[in-house]
Amino acid sequence: MTILTGKTGARGGFRPLLRKIWAHRADYAYVLPAIAVMLIVIAYPIYYTVELSFFNTPPGLQLRDKIFVGVDNYTAILSSGIFWKVTSNTLIWTLASTFISFVLGFACALALHRDFVGRGVLRAILIIPWVISAVAASYIWKWIYHSDFGIIGAVLVELGLADRPPNFIDSVSTVLPSLIVVNIWREFPFAMIMMMAGLQTVPDQLLRAAKVDGANAWQRFWHVTFPHLRNVSTVTILLLAVANFNSFIIPWIMTGGGPSNASHIWITHIYELAFGRQRWGVASAYSVLLFLILMMFGYFYVRALSGNERKDHSA
Amino acid sequence: MTRITLGGAVLRGTVSTALVASLMSAPALGAAPVDLSKWSPEYVRSIAGTQDFDTAADCAKVTPLDYKGRLTFWYQGVFEGDPDLLRQYYKDFFETFRKTYPNIQLEDQALTYNDLLDKFRTALLGNAAPMAVRLQILGGTEFASKGYLQPLKPEDVGYSTEDFWPGAMKAVTWDGVTYGVPTNNETMAFIWNADIFKRAGLDPDKAPATWDDVVKYSKQIHDKLGIAGYGLVARKNAGNTPYRFMPQLWAYGGGVFDEATANPTYKQIELDSPQSKAALQASYDMYVRDKSVPVSALTNQQADNQPLFLAGQLGMMISHPSDYNVMLDLQNKATGSDKDKAQTVIDNMRYGLIPTGPDGKRAVVFGGSNIHILKPEYVEGGKVDEPAAKAIICMWTSPEWSLKMAYAGSNPGNLNGFKTKWMKERLDSIKFLDVTTSMLPYGIPFPALPQSPEIMNIIVPDMLQNALTGAMTVDQAADDAAKRVKELMGGGL
Repeated sequence: MTILTGKTGARGGFRPLLRKIWAHRADYAYVLPAIAVMLIVIAYPIYYTVELSFFNTPPGLQLRDKIFVGVDNYTAILSSGIFWKVTSNTLIWTLASTFISFVLGFACALALHRDFVGRGVLRAILIIPWVISAVAASYIWKWIYHSDFGIIGAVLVELGLADRPPNFIDSVSTVLPSLIVVNIWREFPFAMIMMMAGLQTVPDQLLRAAKVDGANAWQRFWHVTFPHLRNVSTVTILLLAVANFNSFIIPWIMTGGGPSNASHIWITHIYELAFGRQRWGVASAYSVLLFLILMMFGYFYVRALSGNERKDHSA
Repeated sequence: MTRITLGGAVLRGTVSTALVASLMSAPALGAAPVDLSKWSPEYVRSIAGTQDFDTAADCAKVTPLDYKGRLTFWYQGVFEGDPDLLRQYYKDFFETFRKTYPNIQLEDQALTYNDLLDKFRTALLGNAAPMAVRLQILGGTEFASKGYLQPLKPEDVGYSTEDFWPGAMKAVTWDGVTYGVPTNNETMAFIWNADIFKRAGLDPDKAPATWDDVVKYSKQIHDKLGIAGYGLVARKNAGNTPYRFMPQLWAYGGGVFDEATANPTYKQIELDSPQSKAALQASYDMYVRDKSVPVSALTNQQADNQPLFLAGQLGMMISHPSDYNVMLDLQNKATGSDKDKAQTVIDNMRYGLIPTGPDGKRAVVFGGSNIHILKPEYVEGGKVDEPAAKAIICMWTSPEWSLKMAYAGSNPGNLNGFKTKWMKERLDSIKFLDVTTSMLPYGIPFPALPQSPEIMNIIVPDMLQNALTGAMTVDQAADDAAKRVKELMGGGL
């Protein structure tokens, strides 16, 4: 750490900072293009979104003719019924998708960590949902669920388990769980890959020692394997949570947020506000709030990563 | 086969005449190239093939054929629900344009109906729009009111305003200035499966006369055969929904505003009127009470109804004449017993006029698309090659291409298209065209307001979904929609 003394220190340290930058000008020159690009593609859009969130943008006016409304967009959001609806949908969507994807992925990783015939083939098959594009997956599942000629409905009717095909994505009560199933189907392979990678790092000698000490399979998992996977689990869960909070393709393509807003989550609602209704101001206010929420996820993510790094260094 | 009786034709002719007159502004009446007061399938047949047009020579007067330039152009292209025939004509058009104007470097981009508006709006915000754009009818006033479009009238591309339907010209006019040229005019028809009608105990050759009949027939078909009666479409953010619901709403005497009247003012909101609620109630009765329409109606577009209809699982729907060609395309792709089954459905396909409301009112959306030229400041590179833009607009809106590009589906924007040999050929080869030309006089344009896209693509489908899912009662859904339109018109957040 640089210790500033005397006159220079009293002037707040700006000059020494400049001097320091100048002294390392060659280093800074290398990162300058990257900083410039980041300012253009990250900082400016953030600034502009924050600015827009204080304006009204009626559909009959150009964006440059926007009207300043102060914090009205924020108060309008918080006092609107749809806000609570999309927030509750988003929480259910994020928590259920993240938790179940993680548990399922972890279970598959544990199963695939053992050596058995056909393991490689099974691994490849389980990864398929993750490598299929989300757009293609959405259309495939839309047809699987289709209330009039979807395969699930047809099978249920054929087996006599239902009089008529169930109403998966055309009913307000079933649409969100139905979409969550698709999302989990798409995401659990990601968790599985992460956890499989983590399992490779669990020292064999520790497991063997635990076995010698008389620990059963559950005890070996709980006291040896799982603690080793804590950081990779945290990172996986955070990555899944961020991806789910930001998820757009599956709900938008399969239902467009419907029926009756039952599958609108924050991102689809923001998209509709901005591009469908041109309420750029309100959409921006939503985006600012979303940004703050995701920043929290980001904070925990960085903390988890730092924890990993510290652990690596100490090892 | 189309079933239109002589008495029906006379009655239709009389009503058509009155409605044509109401659709038209007085000065246009005398100067139109075709006599709209005589409008009927017979009249259309009598004028088809009576005049030759040389498109290249006509457009050369607007932009010389050796003109050297560059044009960026976006358009609403063909999509999965369109017939192969239309696909071919789109391909032919761009090949012909490049051949006719070999020195114009054309960069064209096709977008689907539901994506075009969103993408265009985004491009405009980044001053990255194309020089010219062909937009659905809903878009014109929105972009004109915001000042994105250059004034452009048919005279600028070698035609006269009277060469186009007055109703279509309303959709490209904002604040008294014209901002585009209509390319095609859509009116849909009512389609049913005669075999299903027969098996359900209905007259196989008679379309339901009223919307109340549609509700009744739909229930009867469902109760007797266990299949969907009417192809209700209520997906949000999809153009298909208002095109099918608004005819029902207007027929019952309702409206968003007073757009169904001869001289709309768009001042009074009518979505919560008893008539509008009656129309919504009819949809509710079919979906919730009778369960006689596809369960998937809330996520369906018309493209989802087509396979249902072809599979003999749907009795009635609203669509273009092009659905006949779509069925033929789908049948060609089918195999084994599905192919024969599809052929049976095609043989039993019938087209008729869209039903009336309880007071005999008949209505259909007067739809279509228009071509516009952008102002340079919103275009990528900041320049618009106007002669190049006018060249493509001249060609697309010519009697020849406005007819060919609407060949299987709708009506040519340029009224002279009805006089071409291609129109004659089309009448001989495309079934059911006369039904949709008969529907033209009943056409009602969507309100020519910048707020119309949101009203039609979001608020109206939301109203339907709120009622059909039980999230709101019919009354609440209609009142909520009216309130949202009021807020929207007031510039609320």
